[in-house]
Amino acid sequence: MLSIKNLHASVEGKEILKGINLEIKAGEVHAIMGPNGSGKSTLAQVLAGNDAFEVTSGSVTMHGEDLLEKATEERARDGVFLAFQYPVEIPGVSNLQFMRTSVNAMRHHRGESEMNAAEFMKMAREISKQVDLDPAFLKRGVNEGFSGGEKKRNEIMQALMLQPKLAILDETDSGLDIDALKVVSDGVNALRAEDRAILMVTHYQRLLDHIVPDFVHVLAEGKIVKSGGRELALELEERGYAWLGIKDDETAASSALSNSAN
Amino acid sequence: MKPAPSLLSSAFLQPAGQALPAPLLALRKQRGAALVDMPMPTRKTENWKYSSKYLKLTDEMAVSLPTAGKTGSALAVPGYKVAFINGVMVPEASEYPDLNDILIQRFSDLSDAEASELAERLDSTLDAKAVQFAGLNTARFEDGLVIRLKPGAVLDQPLFIIHEVTADASGSAFPRIFVEAGRNSQVTLVEEFISSGQEAVFVNSVTEFTLAEGANVTNIRLSMGGENVQHIGATGVTQQRSSRFESHCVGFGGPLRRHDLRVRLEGKGAECKLNGVVVTQDTQHYDNHTTIEHVAPNCDSEETYRNIAADKSHAVFNGRIHIHPDAQKSNANMSNKNLLLSTGAEIDTKPELEIYADDVKCAHGATIGQLDKESLFYLVSRGIGLREANVLLTMAFINELVAQIPVDAVKDTVQIRLNQFFDQAFQEV
Ligand SMILES: Nc1ncnc2c1ncn2[C@@H]1O[C@H](COP(=O)(O)OP(=O)(O)O)[C@@H](O)[C@H]1O
Ligand SMILES: [Mg+2]
Repeated sequence: MLSIKNLHASVEGKEILKGINLEIKAGEVHAIMGPNGSGKSTLAQVLAGNDAFEVTSGSVTMHGEDLLEKATEERARDGVFLAFQYPVEIPGVSNLQFMRTSVNAMRHHRGESEMNAAEFMKMAREISKQVDLDPAFLKRGVNEGFSGGEKKRNEIMQALMLQPKLAILDETDSGLDIDALKVVSDGVNALRAEDRAILMVTHYQRLLDHIVPDFVHVLAEGKIVKSGGRELALELEERGYAWLGIKDDETAASSALSNSAN
Repeated sequence: MKPAPSLLSSAFLQPAGQALPAPLLALRKQRGAALVDMPMPTRKTENWKYSSKYLKLTDEMAVSLPTAGKTGSALAVPGYKVAFINGVMVPEASEYPDLNDILIQRFSDLSDAEASELAERLDSTLDAKAVQFAGLNTARFEDGLVIRLKPGAVLDQPLFIIHEVTADASGSAFPRIFVEAGRNSQVTLVEEFISSGQEAVFVNSVTEFTLAEGANVTNIRLSMGGENVQHIGATGVTQQRSSRFESHCVGFGGPLRRHDLRVRLEGKGAECKLNGVVVTQDTQHYDNHTTIEHVAPNCDSEETYRNIAADKSHAVFNGRIHIHPDAQKSNANMSNKNLLLSTGAEIDTKPELEIYADDVKCAHGATIGQLDKESLFYLVSRGIGLREANVLLTMAFINELVAQIPVDAVKDTVQIRLNQFFDQAFQEV
């Protein structure tokens, strides 16, 4: 489904991604782990099409099509979804208006008719319950005044609503308490499907207790330095990144010791 | 030797019609005489600093536009309607019932006694020195409208005043309105400025409101555009004890747009709320100058203005709050936010606070910015088109103010016009 080959990207002239290779097939769940600043969010943003990052070489194809030449909204309509590490607050645009515009943009792209307000409300209410958000939030500005955990649940809510082909989740577990983590991971598990791939970016391994990945990759200084099955995550938890010869500003990769929402 | 300042051309001091009661003719003449040496604003004129370059009056524009019988646009309004065409109220195009406790009269229909009383009060809400062009309106109005609400009168529907210029030839229009809201009376007055002609015209309008104790007046003012119209308008308000004035000014740019809004809180416990939205594009201009005078104690003022400038347009906001020594326990809030939609656009904003009382709450803030890139990316990452994302974010900037417009039909008119603005402003997005 997704094929990343020798991807290099830089921001403000500084190279961050230094040759990423990654193959993701439909139905698979991949986890990307790595210390702070290793380039995990950069990879996620580049895949979603943030032009603050410049792709200097390499290629990314999705379903055989060149992803990089498409505008962000086209990628989204083709099924790329990014759950942001730092979801943006947009006062003045209600969650309702935002999500409905988004859902209808996707439907329009698929040649389907627009959802009217009532149909949309029904769906939105159901999904908001699924992620344990009070439907009253729909009337508020996008992410406006949301707690960190509410923002993450809102990202998952959008993923559930848009049913993407490729869901990229950037640290969707950070800043969550145990209950919220359960809600979020239930949401992600609900997304698992044969025709969908999930790429989870995480600094910690605790999310992987709830969402069991098929593959784990370790990103360090802009390169994937090790790949393996889920046991790799467990090993990282036990031994830290140093075991791989990677510098990390925290002693262990385990979140049990830290709540830092990086 | 300094070059002599350029003066208002004497061609602009010749009113045409004489069909007014003697006291008003006398007032007009007196004001005209006072303007004989009126210097035209220049860059050095403090309150015209950013806007003088847009003012281009020619002698061809000095003549009063002919009175037109019928309006060019048969605008249906959800309420009572008074049509001002080319600066003069036209009864045939107006529709409102006989209202018992609300008098709507043309200046020309007043008795000498009534006219004499009115002449005393015209201009009383505006400071002639600060609002130079209001005096020109008084020197030039061909007719005018006085609206008097008796004590306790409540107008059950909004009263729409449609100011239209049907500019088939160059000329000027000087619409003049005086609203006297009696004790505890209530009215919503909608003023809409439109133009249906092509020739270069000058509109110089003045609307005054006096609010007696407990009166509650809402004024919606829509300046809808017209690329041929240079418009200088003024709104003056005086408020007595416990009265409330609410204003919603929505302005679309033009070759020259200037609105002075002055509110004097003269009675204890009076309150005003002033909302403003301005959008400009192409090479358009719009300049709002507001002044709130807290004269009496315990008054509240709340002012919220938003400017959006696209292309190479230019918006100006100057908000002055003056708290007089006796105005203890004043509460004044002013917020002005500005959005530049292109690097070629310009917005100048200047809050001016003069506070002479010590026990007051006064807050103000002004910002200028562009659409937030991260917000745009967030929206498009959800499949929303870039153009639509731009519109959503721009609308977000003024949503709250548009939503507060208290007449739904007006809100719709504004939204439709805004959509046209977006179509053009983001056509290349
Ligand atoms: N917008 C940006 N401008 C400048 N540097 C950036 C920007 N975004 C990320 N970086 C830098 O790129 C590197 C990788 O960051 P990031 O991808 O956010 O790492 P991670 O998500 O793995 O913590 C860091 O050194 C970070 O400082
Ligand atoms: Mg990150």
